[in-house]
Amino acid sequence: MTRLLIVDDERDIRYLYAAELEDEGFEVESAGNGADAAELLKHHHFDLVILDIQMKGESGLQLLQKIVKERTDLPVILCTAFSCYKEDFSSWLADGYIVKSSDLTELKKEVARVLKKKHL
Amino acid sequence: MLSGCCWNKETINTDECRFLHPGDDELLFNRKKRFLSRCLECPGFLEDLRQMNGNFDGLPGLFSYAIEDLLAQRAEICTLTSQAQARNREIRFLHEVGQVLQTSVAMDEVISMALTSITSGKGFGLNRAILLLVDKERQNLKGHVAVGPRSREEAGQIWHEIEELDYSLKDMSQIFFEKKMPSEKEKFSDLLEILSVPMSHNKHLFITTLNEQKTRHIKNLYQEPGIDPWQAENLGGGELLMVPLISRNRRIGLLLADNIINGRPITIEDVQSIETFALPVSFAIERTSLYERLQEELSKVTAANTQLREQQELILRMEKMALVGKIASNIAHTIRNPLTIIGGFARNLMKSTPQEDAKHTYIESIIRETRRLEEVLEEVLSYSESLHPTFDWWDINQLITGVFAGLRDDLKLNHVNCRFDLEPNLPKGKLDYKKISYCLRSLTTNAIEAMPAGGQIEIHSALCNDEIQITLTDTGPGMTAETIQSVTTPFFSTKDSGSGLGLSLCARILEEHGANLDITSEEGKGTTFTIRLKISREDEHDQTTDC
Repeated sequence: MTRLLIVDDERDIRYLYAAELEDEGFEVESAGNGADAAELLKHHHFDLVILDIQMKGESGLQLLQKIVKERTDLPVILCTAFSCYKEDFSSWLADGYIVKSSDLTELKKEVARVLKKKHL
Repeated sequence: MLSGCCWNKETINTDECRFLHPGDDELLFNRKKRFLSRCLECPGFLEDLRQMNGNFDGLPGLFSYAIEDLLAQRAEICTLTSQAQARNREIRFLHEVGQVLQTSVAMDEVISMALTSITSGKGFGLNRAILLLVDKERQNLKGHVAVGPRSREEAGQIWHEIEELDYSLKDMSQIFFEKKMPSEKEKFSDLLEILSVPMSHNKHLFITTLNEQKTRHIKNLYQEPGIDPWQAENLGGGELLMVPLISRNRRIGLLLADNIINGRPITIEDVQSIETFALPVSFAIERTSLYERLQEELSKVTAANTQLREQQELILRMEKMALVGKIASNIAHTIRNPLTIIGGFARNLMKSTPQEDAKHTYIESIIRETRRLEEVLEEVLSYSESLHPTFDWWDINQLITGVFAGLRDDLKLNHVNCRFDLEPNLPKGKLDYKKISYCLRSLTTNAIEAMPAGGQIEIHSALCNDEIQITLTDTGPGMTAETIQSVTTPFFSTKDSGSGLGLSLCARILEEHGANLDITSEEGKGTTFTIRLKISREDEHDQTTDC
């Protein structure tokens, strides 16, 4: 089963994404900060990471750099509340990029697209 | 036996002396005056005197000495008068011409004045004057302009016109400068072309004259060594005056003058006058040429200033926008997350709530209202985003200079010299200013770091077909073919420090722009990065949007 890791410091966002993506048939785990996420990544296999950019403590972009450096095969979708992050050059390393919305259709489409690209 | 000449008669009739001139009536009754002005040059008198010399006791012999000396003095006075007249003419000239020469800052105005002075009857009155100037690069002595008639018919017509209208020298020069200069250049263009000589041609008559800084008065150009027979033939081959124009030992040009139409011999006075005249002309030409160069430099500085001001304004605007962006980002975070949670869970709940359930309508309301709020948020944020016009038509050279201006301190600190070779008037390219600037900055920083002991970076921009090429060459140690292969993969770095993201990001950015990054390197010599931006032209773009 495809395993996803959700990293967001907002608990309810983690719950919401997990609920919706599990409905889509994915196996989902989540972390509330960069350190927890790094720990999970070290010990478990994941097919995709959904990463919030602005988090307390270590930011999503810092974690992204670590992931890209150590796990070049692991795709990452960045989530943001504000699309201006697209202009931050370190965000250009991510495989996907979405602006948060209560309608999760966009997120689901992006997950499908990135996974498909990975399997090509 | 004396000749019967009239010298010893108190009064005479007109037919008694064949040396009388019209208007000499007074001399018929004034023996002293007649004797001094006419008899001294009369062969009859001189013969009588010679004969008398034998009859008288020595004294008349002394007369002949006195007369000889008197005649010599007269001749000298004549020469001096003619010289004085020439000097007078020069002073009058220099006074009239000097004002223009000293005040004008337009080279062609100065040249008009000089050549008109040489060719006009009110000036030195030579038939033709040709000016050759040393070009800006100091490579060639080039035919600049010539003045004068090309044929006898034209000469007659011009002289008639001048006589009729009685222009002053200054007026004539002004008319020439304003109306005739281009047509005169055109009229003599073939001759001016033929007379041009490379400065390196040391044995050529023109260059020798210029190098020796001495005026030459040539009687027969055909017999002169050091001149191309074809050039001599085109000049007419006869007598020619060549005056080098020198200002503070700097070779300015060469002035040629002759009397090609009427063939009047060039006198020593002509030579001296024109030589004197050439001095202020040389100064004036050099001054105007320096002034022109100064103007060019000034306009470059002004353009640079304008550009700087524009960039400062742009930076200021961007700073303001960055602040707006920060505020917007804060609002976004504070509002977006709760909206996502409320609306998201509502949608989630909706899936498990049957249509007939009363709560279905309530949940629908929550979804609808959150959607509305999200739309308002989107509108506000997209407005603040639209204030960041980074993806636009940009001037590549401006981008390059902007990036290097930002790196100036780094370059200086690391003893890296930069040499720019930017093609002017490149078409603007549609690109993301921040991203391409980042690329260029990364490449430059890499080059600086590759040369820890300092070196040189050459930046070249050019338009090749429909591509704008930006080439950056360093004098670093170079890279192996393997390294070149891997430099664009993320986190590859030959450096001990640094993230190693630079070049891989560059590659990604350029890929987004549909651009290529070529790397060539020679170990021990340096590396060249070439960015090739395939960019449709702005005008083409405008045409398509207009349609």
